[in-house]
Amino acid sequence: MSTIKELYDYRQMIFSLVKKDLRGRYKGSVLGFLWTFINPLFQLIVYTIVFSKILRNDVPRYYLYLFVALIPWIFFSSSITVGAASIISQKDLVKKIYFPRMVIPISYVTSCFVNMLLCFIVIFAVIIVTGAGINFVAVLTLPIIMIVEYIFALGMAMLSSAVTVYFRDLEHILGIVSMAWMYLTPIVYSKSIVPEKYLPIFNLNPMTPIIECYRTVLYDKQIPDLSTLLIAAALGVFFLIFGALVFNKLQKHFAEEL
Amino acid sequence: MAENEIAIEVRDVTKSFKVYLDKGAQLKERLLFRKRSKYEERKVLRGISFDVKKGEAIGLIGHNGCGKSTTLKLLTRIMYPDSGTIKLKGRVSSLIELGAGFHPDMSGRENIYTNAAIFGLTKKEIDARLDDIIEFSELADFIDNPVRTYSSGMYMRLAFSVAINVDADILLIDEILAVGDANFQAKCFNKLREIKAQGTTIVIVSHSLGQIEQICDRSIWIHEGLIKAEGPPKEIDLEYLDYMSRKRQELMKAAEAGSEKEETDENEQGKRWGSGQARIKRVRSFSADGTEQSAFRIGEDIKLVVDYTVKKPVDDAVFGVGVFDLNGIQCYGTNTRIDKVPDFVIDKDGTVEILLKKVMLLGGTYNLDIAIEQGEGIPVDYYRQAHKIEMISAEGDAGVFRIEHTWDFQR
Repeated sequence: MSTIKELYDYRQMIFSLVKKDLRGRYKGSVLGFLWTFINPLFQLIVYTIVFSKILRNDVPRYYLYLFVALIPWIFFSSSITVGAASIISQKDLVKKIYFPRMVIPISYVTSCFVNMLLCFIVIFAVIIVTGAGINFVAVLTLPIIMIVEYIFALGMAMLSSAVTVYFRDLEHILGIVSMAWMYLTPIVYSKSIVPEKYLPIFNLNPMTPIIECYRTVLYDKQIPDLSTLLIAAALGVFFLIFGALVFNKLQKHFAEEL
Repeated sequence: MAENEIAIEVRDVTKSFKVYLDKGAQLKERLLFRKRSKYEERKVLRGISFDVKKGEAIGLIGHNGCGKSTTLKLLTRIMYPDSGTIKLKGRVSSLIELGAGFHPDMSGRENIYTNAAIFGLTKKEIDARLDDIIEFSELADFIDNPVRTYSSGMYMRLAFSVAINVDADILLIDEILAVGDANFQAKCFNKLREIKAQGTTIVIVSHSLGQIEQICDRSIWIHEGLIKAEGPPKEIDLEYLDYMSRKRQELMKAAEAGSEKEETDENEQGKRWGSGQARIKRVRSFSADGTEQSAFRIGEDIKLVVDYTVKKPVDDAVFGVGVFDLNGIQCYGTNTRIDKVPDFVIDKDGTVEILLKKVMLLGGTYNLDIAIEQGEGIPVDYYRQAHKIEMISAEGDAGVFRIEHTWDFQR
């Protein structure tokens, strides 16, 4: 409880770290902030070519089908992979000055989250330009889906960032894990093509219902069955609490380990 | 009673560091060389306890590696103790790492916000302090320029201004006041006094005992992870200085013993000249009570003992002594002729004692030149830097030597 109050007191620091991260990320590059959009767009193009032109599938507007799932996925995967190194990259601060250490993963995940929100502008632009159409009532459920994803991502980022301080390999291991995780989540394909016997595993993955919900809202233009999010939300909260507890335990020796 | 409120409570705190002899942080290394990640445990703090009352200022003193900086780091909660408890009441600000989180490309103003946010201030609170911070830093004209264009002095001034305007309840300071020029230092010092008067609790770690004596109500001397003594700074600091002076003495002796042989001929070229009829054999310094030492506190008597050998008698001999600081500035010099010692002849080996009374040289290292001359300044053996002494002064007065003085206000 006192941790939450303290984090609230340090909200300005979270804001300023997020701002610094967003502004500083592409500093010095010619295209600057545009990279926020270019990166996912190129991934989108590559995946679209591979999965709809080469491997062929009959999903109409496959690019949109993929796009609305890919952007939330990029938020999640960068939260855990790049987020893993977030404490290490701020080691000058950690070694020299006191502040609640959770500020670092929180602000990192938040800045990834803001990036995702900005990309959603592009998603909406694509939807409008291509005339795919929007269900405004369904869009109102988007914030709930996003919050569930944010909680889950934050919990995972706390775990990965704290453990990486002691065990640096984790950063690289997570790179592989996140690639496998992406293909085990219905992003480039639909859950309906998954063989029945594997379905329980897919349902355990909190990212499955999260991604499905995004797709229902933005691609199928329907109000998602939010109850499918319940397990994801419960797992998200579990990981957040677990992550926070582990983080609190491990953070005591950050200054010595870095 | 608010006056006796405890702001900092430290109880039986211990801390040790693992010093890895060969640390493997990677999976491969951890698995393959499990036995190799041996480490030594170095106990830095062996159980210290103290209280600091609200509004009190204490100074932590001790030689390098005694654990005083570790104590301060534990107080800031950068690190946590292995056992024992530390309780702090109120907002803590530290002047340990000035300018943490400064971003060179952002303007001074933006950096004020970032830096103050790290101390846990909200935007509103920073807005309220912004003018004070800028005014205190004396950087109003540059505040919208990127920090990378600042000189290091300007940088430190800005950082100090932020840290000191946080309005902390507890202020932790590590070796400060090396900030900026003399004017700004004085300003910082005054600000610290002001803050203390407002009821802020202050903990200072410093090698400058003068600073501690000026601000602190109490000194705590930490020695090898334990509190060796605590009390009024004037007393504790002297005790500490005494100890340090003895210790340095031992070190110097050890160094001398090691280098005695080489020092005879080669090293003396350019440092020594004269006819060689007589030669200075060795120079030693003693304190008033007769113990050989080379570190002295300001105001002490110093006895120099010069042994010499004679090859050929020197008539009309003159002995001289000169005191130089490390910049080569002569601080004092005299000889037996100036002092009107009756003429004498040295014809066999002997010893001369020079008693320097109440030496008021300020803290620092001084070289002594010793010379034997003949008649009107013909050098027999002029020995530059024949001996070295160390002066220790806890006061903050400046210059070469202290002029005894009093202040008297006619009102």
